[in-house]
Amino acid sequence: MATALSIHRLCKSFGQQQVLDGVSFDVPKGCILGLLGPNGAGKSTLIRSIMGIVEPDSGSIELHGSPWDRQAVRGIGYLPEERGLYKDMTVGEQAVYFARLKGMSRADAIASLKQWFERLEVDGWWTRKVSDISKGMAQKIQFICTIVHGPELLILDEPLSGFDPINARRIIDVVRSQAEAGTTILLSTHDMPSVERLCDEVVLLDRGRVILSGGADTLRETGWSGQQEVVFRGNDLAFTNALGAMAHLDSIGPDVVEGTRRAHIRLREGQQPGALLGALGPAVEVLEFIKVRPTMESLFIEAVEGAAAATSTAP
Amino acid sequence: MKGSLIGVVIMREWKTRVLKRSFLLSTLLTPLLGVGFIALTVMLTKGTESRHLVLVEDAPGLITRMDQASGQWVPRCPGCFPEREMLAYRFVREAPSDSIWQADGYSALVEFDEAVLQNHAGYLVYEKSPGMQAKRNVERDLSRAMEHARVLGDTELDWEAYQRLKFDLNLVDRESGQAGRQEGGGEEVRGLVGFMFSAVLFIILAVYGGLIMRSVVEEKANRVVEVLISAVRPEELLLGKVIGTGAVALTQLLSWSVLSTLSFTLFQFVFDSGILSASAAPATGEIPADLMTVMAENEFTSILLDINWGLMAATTIAFFTGGYLLYGSLYAVVGSSVQSEQQGQGMVFPIIMPLMFAYVIGAGAMENPEMASLVWLSWFPLTSPVIMLLRVAVGAPIWEVLLSWLVLMITARLVLWVAGRAYRHGVLAGDSQTGWKLLLQWVRGHGQ
Repeated sequence: MATALSIHRLCKSFGQQQVLDGVSFDVPKGCILGLLGPNGAGKSTLIRSIMGIVEPDSGSIELHGSPWDRQAVRGIGYLPEERGLYKDMTVGEQAVYFARLKGMSRADAIASLKQWFERLEVDGWWTRKVSDISKGMAQKIQFICTIVHGPELLILDEPLSGFDPINARRIIDVVRSQAEAGTTILLSTHDMPSVERLCDEVVLLDRGRVILSGGADTLRETGWSGQQEVVFRGNDLAFTNALGAMAHLDSIGPDVVEGTRRAHIRLREGQQPGALLGALGPAVEVLEFIKVRPTMESLFIEAVEGAAAATSTAP
Repeated sequence: MKGSLIGVVIMREWKTRVLKRSFLLSTLLTPLLGVGFIALTVMLTKGTESRHLVLVEDAPGLITRMDQASGQWVPRCPGCFPEREMLAYRFVREAPSDSIWQADGYSALVEFDEAVLQNHAGYLVYEKSPGMQAKRNVERDLSRAMEHARVLGDTELDWEAYQRLKFDLNLVDRESGQAGRQEGGGEEVRGLVGFMFSAVLFIILAVYGGLIMRSVVEEKANRVVEVLISAVRPEELLLGKVIGTGAVALTQLLSWSVLSTLSFTLFQFVFDSGILSASAAPATGEIPADLMTVMAENEFTSILLDINWGLMAATTIAFFTGGYLLYGSLYAVVGSSVQSEQQGQGMVFPIIMPLMFAYVIGAGAMENPEMASLVWLSWFPLTSPVIMLLRVAVGAPIWEVLLSWLVLMITARLVLWVAGRAYRHGVLAGDSQTGWKLLLQWVRGHGQ
């Protein structure tokens, strides 16, 4: 599959501090890749390196299959985490200014901006000064300025921060529709639910290194450690006895429908879900038998804590 | 693409400042106030001088005689009191009390006794000062009348013979150069004019340099800069900001030039048409002087007529361009290395010091702008924008001016390049990163 962005063994240090330590990964075209990591993991430095704001010490970056080039960088839509607008300019004028910096003509910029302003319901704010609009409104304007020139690659650093749930959903919809239209998106965020909803691929950075990467579904699948959710009608004791040595019972309690029970169990090593279901059948009436995959948040915490433990035990 | 992006930055910097109400007001009002000040000076001068009627009390009878026909005291030397539009005399042997002569419309009384011929002392009595110009004219006229009295009393010469013998040497300046001898002189006035232009340039460089610094600090504070430098190279952004803000200053300078010329021309038209004369002073039957004549008679306004406005404007714009690129870049670097304008003010002082030094030296040496140290300073790029204007006003050789400008422009380009390196690191530096040491590291290319 063609790649929109390739990072090869990227290293960067500030003084004695190694911020990026041989980071490598690819972002396939049309994919939404979630760039995750705790604070100080090196996400922003990596993004700034891609954008040419920071010069890496070693390693290479390819954009759309070609070596890194500033001209190609100008085509990227970039929404930094630390972002702002000129307070003394009108909303419309500065949106045009940013669009023109991305190479659009004034006329094209105005036409495209008018459409985006209408779509994100900020069309009445064109002539207002930024100092007169709310923070959420300013965030929307910044988002529009990022995508107005129709970039093939979008880099969004915490795009949902500052949005209320309704507007956050609106932004997620736009991001999704951009991806469906073929735009490649690198999404750096701490908002795990949005990663689960949006991302096809995930890269987890910690202390400048990639500690986990792959398809979001694959990671959750491989991170599954036997958790199942069972909704049944019957006796708790009979249910527990049926589990026997095959699974460990984490919790059990009443479910929403009267007379039904909901249990959380964990299969013991080597046990298969089908075999357990067969064992439960004669004891209780099984209504639902759901495989519970780990959340992105739990995978994230597990991976980061695992990496920290490995580092502390290393000689 | 590169050029057009810098153009977009320049346009934003220019447009956001030029369309500000404060800019429009200062651009429109400054020339109007300037011409208004000149007009006021001219009108006040003219208005005050037209009313001076001076009573001379010649108690010892040194300079007056009785005219039998009119029955009035008249000067023994009528030619010593030339007819003036703004000044007239009446002579008496014994003056009435102050309240009476003041009530009779006299603005001043001159008193002296017999000892005046020895001690050269007299008194000018007035309720309200008639002004320096009127006082000087009275002193000049009475001195000649006394001289007349002494020539006739102490020598055997008649007045006409004395006038023929009297000799005043007038040295006319001629500057000798490769092109032969040319008219020169008036260094003091021209030095003053040059200094006025230097002072304006100094103020503009400092004010607009500060504006660049503020603009950079603002972009850091409102966090626009990261988006900007992902689209434009930091060096291009810096160049765009310096040129854009410089264009604002040039717009203001050019607007001031055009508006001043228009306002002055309008004032001259109105003044020469006599509308103002008719309203400002009672009709005397005299032909009113035109504006240029009135200005030439006034000490302050006569300086304005001595200025070669075209040459000075061209030199000012040329040296402003170089000086601005140089100092504007340095101001931008300071802006990039601080987190607030207050921090920047502290760091900007060492940068502006050479310019302040030039300004102070220029102020002290305006009577002799061709002294050796000033010539050297006019070649040194950090001081040349201010000092060379001073020298141009008194007629510095054109090749020196061009070479000095060339040195300034080359230095400005080098400084811009160095500034770009520091700016690149500075604009992304964290909140705790400030100071000269860090700035030098950035110039060497170390940093984020």
